[in-house]
Amino acid sequence: MKILIIEDEVTLKQTMVDFLSAAGYLCESVSSYKDGLEKIEYHNYDCIVLDIMLPDGSGLDILQLLKQDKKTDGVIIISAKGALEDKIEGLQLGADDYLIKPFHLSELSVRIAAIIRRKNFNGHTVITAGNIQIDTNGKTVTVHKQQVDLTQKEYQLLLFLVVNRNRILSKNAIAQHLWGDDMDFPANYDFIYSHIKNLRKKLVAAGAEDCIKSMYGEGYKMLVP
Amino acid sequence: MKLFTKYNRINITATILTFLVGSIAFYFVLDYVLTGQLDRSLRAEQQEITKYIKEHDKLPYIPETKHQWIEVEPAVAAVYDPEPVTEETFNKLEREKEPVRKLIFTIPAEGKLYKVSVYQSKTETEDLLQLIILVTVCMIALILLSHYLINRKLMTGIWKPFYKTLDSIKAHQLSVKEPLQLGKEPIDEIDQLNDSLNKMTSRIHQDYLALKTFTENASHEMQTPLAVIRSRVESLLQDAEGKERTMQQLLSIEDAVLRLSRLHQSLLLLTKLENRQFHLNETVNLAAILKNKLAEKEDLLTAHKLSVVMNVEDVLLNFHQHLAEILISNLFSNVIRYTPEGGCVEVTLVPGYLSVKNTATGDALDHDKIFQRFYKGEQSVENTGLGLAIVKEICLVAGFAVTYQYIQGKHDFTIHFSS
Repeated sequence: MKILIIEDEVTLKQTMVDFLSAAGYLCESVSSYKDGLEKIEYHNYDCIVLDIMLPDGSGLDILQLLKQDKKTDGVIIISAKGALEDKIEGLQLGADDYLIKPFHLSELSVRIAAIIRRKNFNGHTVITAGNIQIDTNGKTVTVHKQQVDLTQKEYQLLLFLVVNRNRILSKNAIAQHLWGDDMDFPANYDFIYSHIKNLRKKLVAAGAEDCIKSMYGEGYKMLVP
Repeated sequence: MKLFTKYNRINITATILTFLVGSIAFYFVLDYVLTGQLDRSLRAEQQEITKYIKEHDKLPYIPETKHQWIEVEPAVAAVYDPEPVTEETFNKLEREKEPVRKLIFTIPAEGKLYKVSVYQSKTETEDLLQLIILVTVCMIALILLSHYLINRKLMTGIWKPFYKTLDSIKAHQLSVKEPLQLGKEPIDEIDQLNDSLNKMTSRIHQDYLALKTFTENASHEMQTPLAVIRSRVESLLQDAEGKERTMQQLLSIEDAVLRLSRLHQSLLLLTKLENRQFHLNETVNLAAILKNKLAEKEDLLTAHKLSVVMNVEDVLLNFHQHLAEILISNLFSNVIRYTPEGGCVEVTLVPGYLSVKNTATGDALDHDKIFQRFYKGEQSVENTGLGLAIVKEICLVAGFAVTYQYIQGKHDFTIHFSS
């Protein structure tokens, strides 16, 4: 899976490259509008991570050119501009997703995964983690060919953990993924614990390995090969 | 008071005063002149009598008229240097008391000393004066009336461009892209005013745009480093496995970054609200938003063991979708944060108002302070303390009125859709 990152902030770019490479993607990165244009002209990517404010141009223009050339690269915009108009404009121009800085890398990763799934398999794909299988089209989870009945939140939680497997996910990251930016109650994340507890119970009952590990109650990690 | 009225008042007072002072002066001058004339004719009479007596050595017979008569009587003592005086005397012919000018002198005749008093009636002088005053008063009235009429016609015409300018200023909105453009006027003062206003608004406009750009840039410049910190912390977190202390420290950094980022976004939103950067031209279904937000917060409500009573009717408002979402989300967040466990939340939405009530932990909140920025009911570090300030500002932008009441152990936040 090839990913292009267009971001002018070098440190942030490098962190994203490191993170996504570790997650198994093939990453290329540029830090200017000009270099970005060159890259998209000669190569195709599964997903492009695009910053809007670049020193020598606007990421929205790159997006426009991509769409003019009828390229099918998935695009996720990352921008510090939380302004609604920018978000709407970005999505209208054909971006697949929009992420406001600062974001969790795990969130970026799960969104990229979703975009790639949509692009490559028309959303129909089965993700396997140990003996757990997730059908992202039907939004069903099976263990040993036996369907596990999960709530919507539990399903989202499982998908988030699976996409970010073998990584420590903080409660903040989980809460933001499940409840969005509106979620401003870092003091009370007990309900995350109860969701995790229920999910583990259901998976174990279906015969799956208990692979969700709590990290001192501060975060969680899914250990799957 | 209108400028025209003010001007008229001053003008009329000044005119009346001038005419009064003028009339009084005129009266005295005229009185002086006419009295002088009377005195001269009194002296002439004296000379005639003296001359007659010198020639004939006997008193002349002078017939009385309505305005002059002479009284002669034997004198006790001589009068030297006689001076005319004014007094009230009975006029025998007119049969009434009237003001007269009198000259008394003594003269020897037929071997005796006589006192001769010559009277001249002042009635005619008085009549003349009265007439003059009447004419003056009429003149004042006439001049004032004409002044008033001319001014009214002229002033309204002359001030028309001024009112035009006033109207355009009233209608002007900063958030509109174009600065104020007032046209040329033939009257210098108004033209100067328009010119200054044009310059001023275009300057304000530039400042406004600069501020707008600044807030947007500030957002970018702040959020990018925050994004770097957050992503680095997340990377570090992966290396912290097995090191509980390190992990806790990293997570507290993450919390701080999250809080800073939210705080910044909230302040940015407040600035935008204050700058009136939102156009309220969308039809918003408030009931739908309420239900959505409630569904989003369901986990929290359950976690806090809160029961919710909804009494919602369909309400469509001319509003802004995003602002409506923020408004309701902030109200809910506030309620969830401050309702004690097991408490109750009542949401009422009817055409006219939206009310959110929740069980209170303590007494009534401070009316003046709750909508202030960074005011927190209790010292908690987690929330920004901007939620209700944003609610208030959104209501201000939309022309709603938000009120807080404490009724029977419940906090009641109500938003009236027309203030």
